[in-house]
Amino acid sequence: MKWLSFEAVASVAYKEFLHIYRDRRVLLLVLTLPPLFTLLFGHAFETGELTDVPSLLVNQDNTPRAQTFIDIISKNKTFAWRRGSPDAKDAADLIAHGVQAALVIPAGWNESLENGDPKPLLLYVDGSDINTADAVEGSVRQSLGDFQLKQRDSMIENLPEEVFELGKQLPVQIRKRFVSMMEMWGIDRKVLYNPKSRVIDYVVPGIIGLILQLLTVTLMACTIARERESGTLYQLMVTSLRRREIVIGKMLPYLVVSAFLVTVIMLVSNLHFGVAFYQWPALAVVCLLFLLCSLGLGLLISAFSRTQTQAIQFSVFFLLPVFVLSGAFAPLQQLPTAVRYISELFPLTHFCRAFRLVNMYRAGPEFYSVDLLVLFAGALITFAGAVFLLRRIEQ
Amino acid sequence: MNEPVIMLDHLSKSYGNVQAVRDLSLQIERGTIFGFLGPNGAGKTTTMRMLCGLTHPTGGRAAIEGAHVWRDRQEVRTKFGYVPQRFSLYPDLTVAENFRFFGGAYGVPGSELEQRIGRLLHVIDLEEKRNTAAQSLSGGMRQLLAIGCALIHDPRLLFFDEPTAGLDPVHRQQIWNLLYDLSNEGKTIFVTTHYMDEAERCTEVGFIEEGLLLAKAPPRALKSSFRSRLLEIDVEPLMPALVRLRGLPELLGVSLRSGGLRLYASEPEKLIARWREHWPFPDLRLLGERWVEPDMEDVFTAYSQGYHGVLTKIIP
Repeated sequence: MKWLSFEAVASVAYKEFLHIYRDRRVLLLVLTLPPLFTLLFGHAFETGELTDVPSLLVNQDNTPRAQTFIDIISKNKTFAWRRGSPDAKDAADLIAHGVQAALVIPAGWNESLENGDPKPLLLYVDGSDINTADAVEGSVRQSLGDFQLKQRDSMIENLPEEVFELGKQLPVQIRKRFVSMMEMWGIDRKVLYNPKSRVIDYVVPGIIGLILQLLTVTLMACTIARERESGTLYQLMVTSLRRREIVIGKMLPYLVVSAFLVTVIMLVSNLHFGVAFYQWPALAVVCLLFLLCSLGLGLLISAFSRTQTQAIQFSVFFLLPVFVLSGAFAPLQQLPTAVRYISELFPLTHFCRAFRLVNMYRAGPEFYSVDLLVLFAGALITFAGAVFLLRRIEQ
Repeated sequence: MNEPVIMLDHLSKSYGNVQAVRDLSLQIERGTIFGFLGPNGAGKTTTMRMLCGLTHPTGGRAAIEGAHVWRDRQEVRTKFGYVPQRFSLYPDLTVAENFRFFGGAYGVPGSELEQRIGRLLHVIDLEEKRNTAAQSLSGGMRQLLAIGCALIHDPRLLFFDEPTAGLDPVHRQQIWNLLYDLSNEGKTIFVTTHYMDEAERCTEVGFIEEGLLLAKAPPRALKSSFRSRLLEIDVEPLMPALVRLRGLPELLGVSLRSGGLRLYASEPEKLIARWREHWPFPDLRLLGERWVEPDMEDVFTAYSQGYHGVLTKIIP
């Protein structure tokens, strides 16, 4: 007897394909959601910058110099300013003002600057979200730095002639050093792998992986559980189909659908967001192994669950940590080492890494072969597990 | 060639401490319609599961056409068709699609498949429903479709688990006629049921209770193992009479049938003679008495309750 009968696998695949085709509502969902999600997620992660943080500006100094600073900070895109009354004593009450930050220019600020003993600006910032707090402070510092630079330039311009005469007496070398000290020292920045520094290019594998994982695991998880629930599994088991033929046959139609969806998502990313894809054959291998691994996982959940409800519950509980810990949208380096070990268990982690290595780094196979191996091993283990669990029904 | 189609040799199955099937030995010859009779939980389904290679026996052995049902289960599964009690085809697939799937699953060659589907659709009289989704069929039609699908690989043996449970009399008759046709074609049919009247339709019947085989014989032989006559009386009021008579030491049992009471007693002639002289229950009125032929239910009751007094011989 052959190890696998093509006809047997084809008949299961045919039946499974009919199930997908007949369930029009799910079919519609499966075909429309991935491109929609791609658009949604793509725009959501388009820029990594924080903009338009509602903020309160209280000007207690009310001098032309303070106004110059306000002109500068008003152009800062981080903030959406609203003006508070100068005598407001409650600038710290952020929620009452409906803002996340409040900046107070203290009375006598101008004078203190004139006297060379600058008073600090007062910044209240909502610390509940650490990222926002840091970004707001950084942004204020930047505007303040710009302001300071301008003030310095105008001070130098207005220096008395005597000072320039005195300066000319200094040796050239010292003068050059002195001038360079007044400027920012430069960095010659060359961004590699993502030259336009676009978040979308980084996030695309995350979007592809997430949507596919969601669909493949949940859809696949229902297939065997559904047969168990409706009693057809028993009928299936008494036919001369072998367990591996059932498992492979069930998986094939979903593999085709998923492969189609990968293509759709890539097309949307390319046409709408202008994301370019490189090394097609390598990308295809990465996607295929990831799909097999995800489908295997779904099958395993399916063979393990008694009902479809259980299958969905197991899927959701599995997928929840995956979303957060797989490095789909943020680098894994942010996570503590112990958690990163857990991340390595998720197929999505390896998929995202391999996909980025291929598409962004345009690296050779030696850089991502380990990830491919892990995905391949994952596919094998989950399939073997599903076959084993199906065998156990026969005990 | 007189090799039995099904051979059970001291077959046992236990789940932990529970003995589902105990030391079951029987042989079923080719062309038999074998009715496997017993109450729910008697071990019918477990036996059938073992025969289908879905559960491994914990003791003894079973073979279908000489092939070991567990060790050679892959081979055995091609030899039989199985019709479960619960409708187990794919409701979203059409009649023809269900056929096509099972045909493929059993490895029926594609060139032959459509021809066979056509023939089977004719046999089960569903030609007009060819492209109807299985979920839109009536209960009887679904059962016919299930039988059709079980026949797609032309097996010589068919297992039916409660084939007519919940069906109307018309479809019940239609399904039994189909079974007779199949039997006539030389197929062996193994039916589980707890309907006694269905047992009468079989060519051979096995009684099972609590995992033990109580008897196995053709229905006629089983009935003739009963004492030739069974006493039935009409009494009023009926229910108090039933309760009172049940308590009598000289009666093994009482059962109510069509308004009369059937009395299982080892010496019914003496009993009725005594009652004719003196009726011992002043509050009950004896309206009539007659001798009746025992039916399968009487036989099953006698075997399962151990009323050996009413049996002339016990068929093992």
